[in-house]
Amino acid sequence: MVNENLVKNVVKEPYKYGFVTDIETEKIGKGLNEDIIRLISQKKEEPKFLLDFRLKAFKKWQKMIEPDWAGLGYKQIDYQDIIYYSAPKQKEKISSLDEVDPKLLETFDKLGIPLTEQKKLTNVAVDAVFDSVSIATTFREELAEHGVIFCSISEAVKNHPDLIKKYLGTVVPASDNYFAALNSAVFSDGSFVYIPKGVTCPMDLSSYFRINSGDSGQFERTLIIAEESSSVSYLEGCTAPMFDTNTLHAAVVELIALDDASIKYSTVQNWYAGDEEGIGGIFNFVTKRGKCLGKRSKISWSQVETGSAITWKYPSCLLLGEESIGEFYSVALTNNLQQADTGTKMIHIGPKTKSTIVSKGISAGNSINSYRGLVKMGAKATGSRNYSQCDSMLIGDQASANTFPYIKSQQPNSEIEHEASTCRISEDQLFYLQSRGIEFEEAVSMMVSGFCRDVFNQLPMEFAAEADKLLALKLEGSVG
Amino acid sequence: MEIIEKIKTNKSIDNQTEIQEICLNKLQSIPIPNPKSELWRLSNKSKFSNFLDYSFNEKNPEFDTPYPNTSPSTIRLLIGENYQIKLINKNYSIQQLSEDELIKYMKEQISCFDKNENWSDLLNLSLSCKKNILGLKINGSKIPPIEIFSHASSSSLNAKTLIIFLEKNCDVDLLQVNLGKENSSLSQSTFFCLKENSSVNHGVVSYGENKSNLLNSLNVIQQKNSKYNLGSLHFKFNYARFEIRIKQSEGNAKTNIKGMQITKKDEQISTYTKIGFHGPNGFLDQINKSLADDKSHAIFEGSIIVPKIAQKTDASQLSRNLLLSDLAQIDTKPQLEIIADDVKCKHGATISQLNEEELFYMRTRGITLEEASKLQLSSYFQEIISFIPVSKDRWDLLDKLLTEN
Repeated sequence: MVNENLVKNVVKEPYKYGFVTDIETEKIGKGLNEDIIRLISQKKEEPKFLLDFRLKAFKKWQKMIEPDWAGLGYKQIDYQDIIYYSAPKQKEKISSLDEVDPKLLETFDKLGIPLTEQKKLTNVAVDAVFDSVSIATTFREELAEHGVIFCSISEAVKNHPDLIKKYLGTVVPASDNYFAALNSAVFSDGSFVYIPKGVTCPMDLSSYFRINSGDSGQFERTLIIAEESSSVSYLEGCTAPMFDTNTLHAAVVELIALDDASIKYSTVQNWYAGDEEGIGGIFNFVTKRGKCLGKRSKISWSQVETGSAITWKYPSCLLLGEESIGEFYSVALTNNLQQADTGTKMIHIGPKTKSTIVSKGISAGNSINSYRGLVKMGAKATGSRNYSQCDSMLIGDQASANTFPYIKSQQPNSEIEHEASTCRISEDQLFYLQSRGIEFEEAVSMMVSGFCRDVFNQLPMEFAAEADKLLALKLEGSVG
Repeated sequence: MEIIEKIKTNKSIDNQTEIQEICLNKLQSIPIPNPKSELWRLSNKSKFSNFLDYSFNEKNPEFDTPYPNTSPSTIRLLIGENYQIKLINKNYSIQQLSEDELIKYMKEQISCFDKNENWSDLLNLSLSCKKNILGLKINGSKIPPIEIFSHASSSSLNAKTLIIFLEKNCDVDLLQVNLGKENSSLSQSTFFCLKENSSVNHGVVSYGENKSNLLNSLNVIQQKNSKYNLGSLHFKFNYARFEIRIKQSEGNAKTNIKGMQITKKDEQISTYTKIGFHGPNGFLDQINKSLADDKSHAIFEGSIIVPKIAQKTDASQLSRNLLLSDLAQIDTKPQLEIIADDVKCKHGATISQLNEEELFYMRTRGITLEEASKLQLSSYFQEIISFIPVSKDRWDLLDKLLTEN
């Protein structure tokens, strides 16, 4: 079959973010113990409560066992062989972007992240995180006028310790799981967002994570708090250079929505995925969870997962408030030897809560792409509803697509619907498009993009365009 | 856990057969199922240990003829009755398997056992003595419907095994009835081998009495062009676990499954299915229904496995659940694992209660709430019951369910 090979050839494009920035960095020694944690805390000049939080988490982590239920095949991670803190050397205090090392600005420039003034026109505020530290946050003054706090979590610890103390670890407790405990012990930086009562954030907020050194892990922590009747849209992007070793990324994201608040959290994850033989790539073990604490609050996750050698990620919603809404829209693309185990958990606790899950998985090459999700109706979730849809597309006969939906109900006055299907790019469809004069590659990319449409429609505009392009690039060469 | 102690110390059975010895050895080397294992994670621990608490009984209890009576148009067999079966007619033959055939086949099966998945079979085969294993070879067509009974005696644990070879081009209706007694545990394992072009309508009806437990496992191997229809119904068990494993060994086979479980009081009934396609052009249509009332717990976990070789597989699985009480629980997990790309696979799951709009409609027509609910339930049950062979004419299961529920 001519088409077989052609389709396979549509998914290959060199990873264009794979460069390394040559910059002097300050690293601490490899290994993980109490002293290292104290050192990280000391470097970040943290208050005592945070150090205690870290040490407590570390003690818990030591007693935990690395989970293996996802059945992901990866070689044992040596947690003592990782550098837990790495930061580019720069002047102590930065008052404006002009003082940021030009090399760093250049890096983010190359990645297409608008940090410099002339590029700020895009009206997206960016917090750029390079290895373990936040480099710069743009539009801070404009946001401050509305009372919005958008800064790195280290700054928030210093400037708003009360908020951090009140909310940190309330959605994802340190003992939640192995990787969350590890993150709680060693987290280096991340973003902090606080939207005050009644404020609709005037612009999209965004953070961009960049891993630069090959031997240090990235452990960022994001905390977003939306007070009553506020709303915010938050975007997250990530890339890393190409190394032939595996780098660990274990992040924790916590979202809190109070009465009538809404948070939209979008991710385009494009960490380095390793080469065709599966050498190198990021191990992406992330715990993301949102708590709809208030009545009529809403948390919406949308994600496009294309990178990472291993992805282990289940953005979840705890629906506590009456009539609160949880949403999850996901496209996960795996190629070559990538493995992705991703999905969501919708825990309905309050009455009349609603959740929607739309998950699209595309697997090509020898990859494994699994949807694993949980929908749970608690005893008090009367009148709640859930709708889930999980579709998989298989490209080639070596890739695997799995669906593991866990559904649990303790409430008769609630409804759960789940459906899943599997399809492929059929020759009939390709033939039809080609007979209409559409180029083969374009036809494939049209079909993939059509398959993902439900999810792309949920992404903010800048991201949707990027995601579409990203998928087309990633798929280049794999369909045939 | 008396039985486990005995197994661990090798004191369980006198005069062990070869099969029993192999299974006992295997069983000793693996841990007792516990919630840490994915397949047993929802199993109620105390109920499961209650299953194992009864002392093992090899003897067969007096069999009080269950309703309905035998009829000349059906063949009725009891596992455990010590008779030689040889029914030969111009159209068909039903014969008991010779000991050699039986041992050879079982050894083959045991060598393919997965230690986690087949724990119930290992337990069953360790306990089943020679006379509690019924092996049949069925050949021909126009065979009268067959009813096979398996039953437990009060205050004890019984183990029964059924092995059936369906020869080429054979076509049969077979109803298997598992009866639980008060305070009893029944371990039933069934092994079905469908040769080319054979077809069976298989019914499994299991019902218990007060505090009866059941561990029922069904292993089916389908050769090409065979057709396997299964209708199953499980109700009135304190604890019941029904494991279905179907393997389409060369593909090109058809499997239809319609199963239902009904739980009340504090019962727990679960169904686990694993359908493996080991060749192209396989077909599966599966529906599993659960109804949970009072404080009960109904579980369905189904997995469909489509490896690379199984191109053009068409598989669908649907789990429909009714949750009727605030204290009842339903868990369902329809699972797909697919590698072949040219396949049609889908699954769906719903959990809800009786449709309010339908109830309202009927009530506006003057039907009482009670009657309207009954009507709805009867249509819910009917789809499954009508699929269980023999039952239509002889077992008024629907009445039984509706009057007792």
